[in-house]
Amino acid sequence: MEAGMVTEQASGMPSGNPHGRVLVLLDGSRMSYVALKAAADIARRTGAEILGVFVEESNLLRSAGYGFAREVGAASGISRPFSTDKVEERMVRMADQARKALAEAMSGQGSRHGLSIARGRVIDEVLTLTAPDDILVLGRTGWSSGVGRPIGSTALGLIRRSPSRVLLWCERPVSDRNRIVVFLNDHEQANHRAMLAAAESARHLHQPVTVILPGDAGLTNERLERIKQDLDVLGAGTRLRQLTVCDPSTVARVLHEEKASELVMSRECSLFRKPGMEDLVASLNLPVTVTP
Amino acid sequence: MAIPAPLTSDQVYHRCPIEKLDFETTESLEDLELPCGQERVLRALEFGASMQAAGFNLFVLGPSGAGKHELVKRFLAGHAASRSAPSDWCYVFNFKVSDRPRVIALPAGQGQSFRKDMADLADELRTAIPATFESEEYQSRLQELQEEMAKRQHQGLFDIQEEANSNNIAMVTTPAGFTFAPMKEGEVIDPEEYKKFSDEEKELVESKVEELQKKLQQNIQQIPRLRKEVRERVHALNEEMVQLTLGGPIGELRAKWQDLPDVVEYLDAVREDVVEHAEAFQDSDNGPPLGLLARYKINLLVDNSETVGAPVIYEDLPNHQHLVGQIEHHARQGTLYTDFTLIRGGAVHRANGGYLMIDARRLLTQPMAWESLKRILFSGEIRIESLERLYGLVSTVSLQPEAIPVSVKVVLLGDRMLYYLLSHYDQDFLDLFKVEADFEDDLDRDDECYDLYARMIATMARHLKTRPIERAGVARLIEHASRLAADQKKLTAHDRVIRDLLSEADHWADQAGAEGIGAEHIQQAIDEREYRASRIRERSREQISRGIVMIATEGVQVAQVNGLSVLRIGASMFGQPSRITATARPGKGQVVDIEREAKLGGPIHSKAVMILSRFLASRYAGDGELSLSASLAFEQSYGGVEGDSASVAETCVLLSAIARIPLKQSFAVTGSMNQHGEVQAVGGVNEKIEGFFDVCKEAGSVKGRGVLLPASNVEHLMLREEVRTAIAAGDFSIYPIADIAQAIELLTGMEAGAADEEGVYPEGSFNRMVSERLALFAEASNKKESNGDDGEGARNGGGNGH
Repeated sequence: MEAGMVTEQASGMPSGNPHGRVLVLLDGSRMSYVALKAAADIARRTGAEILGVFVEESNLLRSAGYGFAREVGAASGISRPFSTDKVEERMVRMADQARKALAEAMSGQGSRHGLSIARGRVIDEVLTLTAPDDILVLGRTGWSSGVGRPIGSTALGLIRRSPSRVLLWCERPVSDRNRIVVFLNDHEQANHRAMLAAAESARHLHQPVTVILPGDAGLTNERLERIKQDLDVLGAGTRLRQLTVCDPSTVARVLHEEKASELVMSRECSLFRKPGMEDLVASLNLPVTVTP
Repeated sequence: MAIPAPLTSDQVYHRCPIEKLDFETTESLEDLELPCGQERVLRALEFGASMQAAGFNLFVLGPSGAGKHELVKRFLAGHAASRSAPSDWCYVFNFKVSDRPRVIALPAGQGQSFRKDMADLADELRTAIPATFESEEYQSRLQELQEEMAKRQHQGLFDIQEEANSNNIAMVTTPAGFTFAPMKEGEVIDPEEYKKFSDEEKELVESKVEELQKKLQQNIQQIPRLRKEVRERVHALNEEMVQLTLGGPIGELRAKWQDLPDVVEYLDAVREDVVEHAEAFQDSDNGPPLGLLARYKINLLVDNSETVGAPVIYEDLPNHQHLVGQIEHHARQGTLYTDFTLIRGGAVHRANGGYLMIDARRLLTQPMAWESLKRILFSGEIRIESLERLYGLVSTVSLQPEAIPVSVKVVLLGDRMLYYLLSHYDQDFLDLFKVEADFEDDLDRDDECYDLYARMIATMARHLKTRPIERAGVARLIEHASRLAADQKKLTAHDRVIRDLLSEADHWADQAGAEGIGAEHIQQAIDEREYRASRIRERSREQISRGIVMIATEGVQVAQVNGLSVLRIGASMFGQPSRITATARPGKGQVVDIEREAKLGGPIHSKAVMILSRFLASRYAGDGELSLSASLAFEQSYGGVEGDSASVAETCVLLSAIARIPLKQSFAVTGSMNQHGEVQAVGGVNEKIEGFFDVCKEAGSVKGRGVLLPASNVEHLMLREEVRTAIAAGDFSIYPIADIAQAIELLTGMEAGAADEEGVYPEGSFNRMVSERLALFAEASNKKESNGDDGEGARNGGGNGH
């Protein structure tokens, strides 16, 4: 069973998608279903194939096999017996729910969809399935949201390691936030990918873009000029802000000032490597796109 | 008894001595501040207005049209001017109990300033507090706090995870929580492989797992407490920031209002409330909710900024709401809402610290108004409660504003009957209205009064903006005031009548193009008023002149006399003669009052007839029995008859019927009589005399005609000029009589005759003839009785022969 993988494919799904697929991680948590809606939206927009990924975590299954195993409730702290049978049952049920949710989300759409059920380590299984052209959509937190973790370990692992663009979804705030904020750096290719992702969101949401250039990005004047010229790609109303200081708290303030509805940044961005960045991402209540 | 001399024209009219009026027109006269002749009312008002003890409210009683309202208002205005203006009152939100708005008193005129200060503060809150929350300082402190708390929250889990990892135990997330299992190189060991572990190893792992589970359990169970702590610390931070922002503006206000502890306390409550609702101010885009800022408004209920002296308030519609105020509502989508800003004050609020004038009758006709006013006066405070709540008709939640302490002097104005009824039937009334200010109906007419009365007329004229009144006009007015008072020694105090007359005279003067109001214009006004009210009088006279109502004004007639009566219709009254007739025959000493038998006579008339009956018995029957069966009737009278003013006439006509002596029809008689035959005063003599005069005139001539009236009524005579002229010419006579004997002599031309010691009247006198006739009646009665004793035959044949 270990590391086994079953891929269910909807009928008539052609192989080889030129646009890349939309992968959505479904773990049965509430946030994963919210992310499914966002993924379905992207799939509808781009006409891409959507693939739900449900991973039966091998560590979990093994843990349940111990006679002394008990499950401590995330909300109540109450401990109760835990067994393989129960976990297996639960997994089947959740996979079933994921399948239904996927079908429901895609009903009435031409896009192809399928559900991949794998067994193994979640991050590894997802990375196995992900190609560089894909978009990986997942909720900021999975089951761990129950204990108030703002960002799950799977999410953190995937934004660091995924070869594709990762959209870390959270419920969009209802207030009048209306700008896509994109962070750039000195890596031209990475900048290009981030701007592309920002442009897509801007087009979809009909929102202008704010481009943030960190002071420590080490941009030459020539590069800066080129970036300014490229801003046209991002559409009307694009704003450029240069930050002299670029630490997570400043970024938080700037995002608040800009009324950001979505944050886009490259994994190569210097900000991404700063200590406290994970906490920043965790504290932001907005969708974050991390491009390779 | 000597026949009295007829009255002269001077006796029947009290002229105003023109020399007493030392002016040309009223223009030169000074205004009269307070009316003359009302000293009792003025002293009562002075006392009532100054008296501080509880319950000394005033009831000003007097007839309508006496000018009560005008006088009381003028008096109180003068009295109030010397006092200081009372406090302003405002309602503010009660932050502790929201449905009981608090009340704050401020020195007069400062309410507006306080209201503006609070409006400015609310404006400042609207912008300053969101700005504070936007500030970098706040944002970074908030973030620090949140991060710290998140760290603390996760640190526990992280520590457990670390501890587990260091013991080669995995902490695995499950869909519902966490579980622990032994691991090797980051992977959970397969249970089959674990079975190969030695017992010691297994025991070690399992005890560690158990320990970790317990720790995790404890940690998770602490999370709610941690979350609560976060909330509290964020709230404390918000409070701190708001406190700092508010410090300046509230501090300034506190300094400004430091002398008023209530205001300072309120400002502190506002600060606490803003701090408590700091989060609501955070929305920088929409601003704080309007409902929140509305709580800091001031409802200035009583604004005395423009009040000079103590207020004098007249409430012309004294219903419950207008007196005690009300709580209004806004209708929003069919639902009613209210708050403390919709509390409206009433007349008692406005009059607090001053005087409140109310018409008693209007007050009593409004539901619950009287009870509410009494409640306020008893408790010394005003509670605003709706009428429907007082009646218990609604039970919806509403506001219960704090009561306002009240110190008001209530002045009720009403007629005397109301005062006496309230005194009798309302047990609270005399506890609350201890000062009675009773208006005089009439003023004394003496030498000193002319100047004052003239000034009063001058004041009225100026007030009414009429032309100035000439001296003769004032004199005529004074004479008419006496006529209105029906007394030569009095002047009427009803200023409405005088005012109306002045206005009308001014109109006629205007029509005549005169510059001033002369006596002729006054007379024209009097005549016109009389004419306008004369339709019924003229119809009545017409019936007499056409013989439909039979009144004889000449010749003589047995058992028939002219009585005089007065009819009051609306505001006017007139006199007219009535024929009174009598019959007399032997009987058992009874005088039948036909009016009473027909239920047309009132009790006073019945009493007068009983007196008359006893007078006859005592004067003519002596110790013997009065054998008389007589009857008296007002001929052609179809309405009721009341009063005793016809008893002299009734006595005369009855005696005429007994003695069969004719009475002169050229006289009319009025006057009441006691059991001794003395003539007593009656009312309406002027109208009665003028009524008979007019009937005689229409019958052809007044010559030789006259009226007999009680001598004690002479000083009430103020007859009109036409009558006076006839009297002066000796055509028409008025005889003042003091005793029934004088009436008999005037009506019969015979001597009445006084009884000697044995009770025998002189031969040939009127009384002798009456006595003899009564003796004959007695004899006839005795005979009848003795025949009756004989038995059946007598009964069958009896009666006709007597």
